[in-house]
Amino acid sequence: MASDSSPVNTPGGANPSTPDVSISSGEGDDADEAPPMYVWGTNISVQDVNAAILRFLRNFREDSSQTEGKYMRAIHHVIEMEGDSLDVDAHDVFDYDGDLYTKMVRFPLEVLAIFDIVLMDMVSRINPLFEKHIQARIFNLKTSTSMRNLNPSDIEKMVSLKGMIIRCSAIIPEIREAIFRCLVCGYYSDPIVVDRGRINEPTICGKQECLARNSMTLVHNRCRFADKQIVRVQETPDEIPEGGTPHTVSLLMHDKLVDVGKPGDRVEVTGIYRAMTVRIGPAHRTVKSLFKASLSMCLLRKTDKSRMHAEDPMEVENGVVGSDEHLDNEEKVEKLKELSKQPDIYERLTRSLAPNIWELDDVKKGLLCQLFGGNALSLSSGASFRGDINILLVGDPGTSKSQLLQYIHKLSPRGIYTSGRGSSAVGLTAYVAKDPETGETVLESGALVLSDRGICCIDEFDKMSDSARSMLHEVMEQQTVSIAKAGIIASLNARTSVLACANPIGSRYNPRLSVIDNIHLPPTLLSRFDLIYLILDKADEQTDRRLAKHIVALHFEDPENSEQEVIDLPTLAAYLSYARKNIHPELSDEAAEELTRGYVEMRIRGNFPGSSKKVITATPRQLESLIRLSEALARIRFSEKVEKKDVMEAFRLLEVALQQSATDHATGTIDMDLITTGVSASERMRRENLVSTTRNIIMEKLQLGGPSTRLLELLEDAKKQSSGGEVHLADLRNALATLATEGLVVVHGDTVKRI
Amino acid sequence: MVGLPYDCLANPLGAVRLTFEKAVASGSDPATFEGKDWGATDLFRQFIFDDGGLSQVPFLNPSTMTWVQPNTLVRFWGMIQDMLGNEFYVGAYKEGETWRTNKFADFSQFPMAVDSSPDMRVWERRLLYCVPVPGQNSWIEHSSESLFNPSSISSPLQREKRHREDDTAINDIDMQVTDEEVHACTSNKKMREGGIASNSSNTGDTLNEDIDSSTSVLPYFDRTSFPCLVKIYDSPESNLKLNDVFEFIGVFTFDPEFPVDKNDTNDLESSLCDDTLTQMPPSRVPRLHCLVHRKLATQDFISGSPTFELKSHLVKSIREALLGHLTSILGNDGVAANLITFSFYLQVHARVDSIAVGKLSLNLTCFNKETLSVFGHRLNLALKNLLPFTHCIPLSVDYLNKVSLVPKKDYQTNRLASGILQLAEGSHLTIDETQLQAGTLNSTGVENARVLRNLLELQKVEYDFTYYKMDMPADIQLLVLSEGKSNILPADLVLPLCPVSVDAAQDVETEVLRSWRWYLATMRSLSHTIEKEMQKVLEDDLVAARQADRSLSSLDFSRLLTMGRLVSLSFGETSLTLEHWKMANELERLRKERLQGSL
Repeated sequence: MASDSSPVNTPGGANPSTPDVSISSGEGDDADEAPPMYVWGTNISVQDVNAAILRFLRNFREDSSQTEGKYMRAIHHVIEMEGDSLDVDAHDVFDYDGDLYTKMVRFPLEVLAIFDIVLMDMVSRINPLFEKHIQARIFNLKTSTSMRNLNPSDIEKMVSLKGMIIRCSAIIPEIREAIFRCLVCGYYSDPIVVDRGRINEPTICGKQECLARNSMTLVHNRCRFADKQIVRVQETPDEIPEGGTPHTVSLLMHDKLVDVGKPGDRVEVTGIYRAMTVRIGPAHRTVKSLFKASLSMCLLRKTDKSRMHAEDPMEVENGVVGSDEHLDNEEKVEKLKELSKQPDIYERLTRSLAPNIWELDDVKKGLLCQLFGGNALSLSSGASFRGDINILLVGDPGTSKSQLLQYIHKLSPRGIYTSGRGSSAVGLTAYVAKDPETGETVLESGALVLSDRGICCIDEFDKMSDSARSMLHEVMEQQTVSIAKAGIIASLNARTSVLACANPIGSRYNPRLSVIDNIHLPPTLLSRFDLIYLILDKADEQTDRRLAKHIVALHFEDPENSEQEVIDLPTLAAYLSYARKNIHPELSDEAAEELTRGYVEMRIRGNFPGSSKKVITATPRQLESLIRLSEALARIRFSEKVEKKDVMEAFRLLEVALQQSATDHATGTIDMDLITTGVSASERMRRENLVSTTRNIIMEKLQLGGPSTRLLELLEDAKKQSSGGEVHLADLRNALATLATEGLVVVHGDTVKRI
Repeated sequence: MVGLPYDCLANPLGAVRLTFEKAVASGSDPATFEGKDWGATDLFRQFIFDDGGLSQVPFLNPSTMTWVQPNTLVRFWGMIQDMLGNEFYVGAYKEGETWRTNKFADFSQFPMAVDSSPDMRVWERRLLYCVPVPGQNSWIEHSSESLFNPSSISSPLQREKRHREDDTAINDIDMQVTDEEVHACTSNKKMREGGIASNSSNTGDTLNEDIDSSTSVLPYFDRTSFPCLVKIYDSPESNLKLNDVFEFIGVFTFDPEFPVDKNDTNDLESSLCDDTLTQMPPSRVPRLHCLVHRKLATQDFISGSPTFELKSHLVKSIREALLGHLTSILGNDGVAANLITFSFYLQVHARVDSIAVGKLSLNLTCFNKETLSVFGHRLNLALKNLLPFTHCIPLSVDYLNKVSLVPKKDYQTNRLASGILQLAEGSHLTIDETQLQAGTLNSTGVENARVLRNLLELQKVEYDFTYYKMDMPADIQLLVLSEGKSNILPADLVLPLCPVSVDAAQDVETEVLRSWRWYLATMRSLSHTIEKEMQKVLEDDLVAARQADRSLSSLDFSRLLTMGRLVSLSFGETSLTLEHWKMANELERLRKERLQGSL
């Protein structure tokens, strides 16, 4: 803790690293009677601090109902566990005694030393046989500094930082107590304690009879060593200003703190900022007029590595949240709540979502729902329903699909962005790799697993290989990734929303074809998307003008001026994460009724009166989607209840999406068959009609075993016979193929023969 | 003229000391300075900018390294390649009863109480690792070297000396320094004479010679990597950004005899000591304690040339001449020449979301082995002569697989290892795709291809920090040369090159070249706006175009607008006129026609 190479004088009686417990605590006791001692260079009395710490430890209670102080319990616990450190929340110190807190932050070396003495004293009173040295470890300071702002005035102060570990040194044994032996007489010296990084090597043998000069030699195996590690922490990307490189700070870790973190961990550290003089060379004793700064560690806490948590200000990590942070958050939360009460919050959020992308309001609303997400539900029977909403965007090139994706990726917690062309199945899900050193098999997560509880954005979905796409089936409904490879059988959570975008097959969308035909995706996969949006480039002068205006403004004006009233990205992200974390809306009865009613209505819509064909307009999957969407809509309003209007909006959204994607272009009605099988009901009817027409023609015209006829002739006949609509050669071929399987005809190239 | 009691040039530290003493004498307490300036930089600012001292300050480069004395004033042009964080140093301390300062110096000149005394003040300074601008073309150096004339510096020195004889306070040290300085100057003169002689014969030779002469003394330096560790005092962080090109003027310290401890036994500890000393011993990397710094614009590199007036007819004639030159270089392909010049004025002027407004990359297609050897080579030469920083990437499978394009943070040394794409603002990058053969890309190759694509599309380079990546905005002019349309590198403009004839390469006079450089640099720095009426016209045009052709996307519009802007800039106009807009449209039409024709 208080490291040894301090350039600052510590008060005489309090050397924190003094291992001999009884001595130091005895000194502490003595100090009570001695004339007042002051912390060097200040008017802080050691006795006062001593008493203040004692009071704090004895009397601090989190609430007055507790009989025993919080830290008394903690001390007992430490003794029971034979631990060697007591974690002290700096906020508690502040709440109990602000003066002590200030002293502790300003003169940490001294105050912590006293802290340790007091602690040892108390421990030995509770349990005189307890021999371990207990250290006080302070954490959770009221203010956290940014690495960038550390400056000379912070030296010798206690600071708290956030950052990411980038490198750890090997463990260095650091000498704490040295024992020397006389080469002449074999006399062992008393243990010599390291004093400010130095060991005062005895020059004369301590034995009265010997007193040989320069005869003492270090006995390695009787010395006491402590673990030491140097860890370097670097700023996290969000703290780096534009055009800067991240700053780094070295941490000195001792004993228990060694190997607590590993490179890549995001950590919050509390420690004493130290500066040590730099020697010109390792072998030189001369110092330069330079200082090397490092942080002597008190405590290191891991904050979660994931972006969702690290950037989530509401996250309650380890059950400890600083009240300061809390206050700050409460303010923020109030603001967010206020925001949520705005009557037009839904529209406003929609507007704020990718404000530079024009039109596409319904798509944005859908994306908003995806960001907020529904409630995941798992039944006791083991069945689970996902709460994540999957969206597919299909559209003409140049309709800013990719930009939408990029934007969502930026906004969403734990967003992962991949391009279908560059992704393989294992890259998306997970793969097993062999560790080159140990030979152990390890599981490496892919994009979908990494974006667990986030959004996985997949661009160029259509260009993905089939095997990769087939992996998505499991992910998108079961929300897991199963691996059975090289001795590892595992099922990983991949509770991710998928946002995919695809280009139509002929690069431009052909409105005469169905979605399936346009984007070459298997219907099984398509049906797993809750919303499928077609982003089509419609010829509309109004839109064009707006677009032109926007682009001209982009080029020739200050971009700030053209911004409309929108919620900025950080607020939006905070809003989002708060809603995702804290709001879990449930269906109200009214809403449930509306859902049922709407669903039934949707299904009825498929049965046209007087029409024999059965069109499926909705499936249970759609019902699930509807529930998810309405939950998400309630979440947007920070409402714990899903209300009727949410359900109605959900229906509207679904219908808008369906109308764009599942509209049967022949009839103009919604047909889920288009999605589920790729062939609309009316199309199927038409095909069946054609088959029967063809069969009739063949029965009439061709003799059994007689001469064959040409395909084109048949086409002419079929055209004559079929009442409405065009008959294409391809259709006819299809029909003939059907007949051929029935065993009615044989088709050889262009000739048809009845058998 | 009343001489100054100190010599800013030869003994800047003396001047610093003097101002410090003056400040202390006038009653301010050094303990409260906290590293803030007490008037030293003002003094130097005045000396450098107001009193015309700038031209007397020698440049720090491999050739001058041999004779520039430590602890004198030098200047250095470089790009900030890495930021090494802050360094704490003893800023002020008491020697007996007098305050001394260590600012702008590596070591204290007066004995200092080693252990902490209450009268020691720790201040901080920023460390910047600077390198010469990547791809810097040789003509810059020539112009910069020609600026510095040793004879002009020796005369004021002598004059200074006379004045100083009256001044006894700091005489001794200064005398010593100046004597050495004079000696150094003469030796430099000799060297310079040799240099100039070869200069006239062949530029390439001088380069080699310079390297030779410098390497003989300083084995570690070569021309391409001549780093300098700049220590910045009193400057807000936001002023200096990564990849910015700056001129630093300050105190030069360098210790060629510095012992480098090779047998460093304390490996465990030193491996993590971010000690710039061990990685960059002063014997390899010179230090510069920066007194004054300023950001360099392209014009500053051409400061040696006569400044022209910004007159429209002059600009027009220069433009015509330059276009003519480029046209002849490209085998009388006027459209290509026009489009290539576009990239010269290019500047990303705004970023909205992920879109970089104002970028325009060009892909010249229809290059094959013969045409490349003729036109590609000539084009490269022309670019080198015209632009301050140019770079060329010969794209091949092997290259993609091996090279490290993006800067990567090396946590072993705690340094940012530079990549090829760490370029200064306004650099010109030519990517030669003609050598690309079929082959397999490994993961590095895929990553590199992605990075290049990102650069073309977003003008951003992703720096690799191992645990995360950080987007750094770039502003690079891009030119892709390929056989067919490049799909790996989607450029904004694709144009098949149609050379009509091959003219013999003409030589351009230096004077003309200079005017072209000046023209390009000036035009690039112009700001540009658009009038309200013109906006309306543009909008109408765009809408009409879109009604006629549905396939036009917002990207096409953006490109067209950028082209309009560039055409107008090339005439030195600051607002878009209908005429120039028409020209841009005409160019685009020609380009499309040619594209159609080639398909």
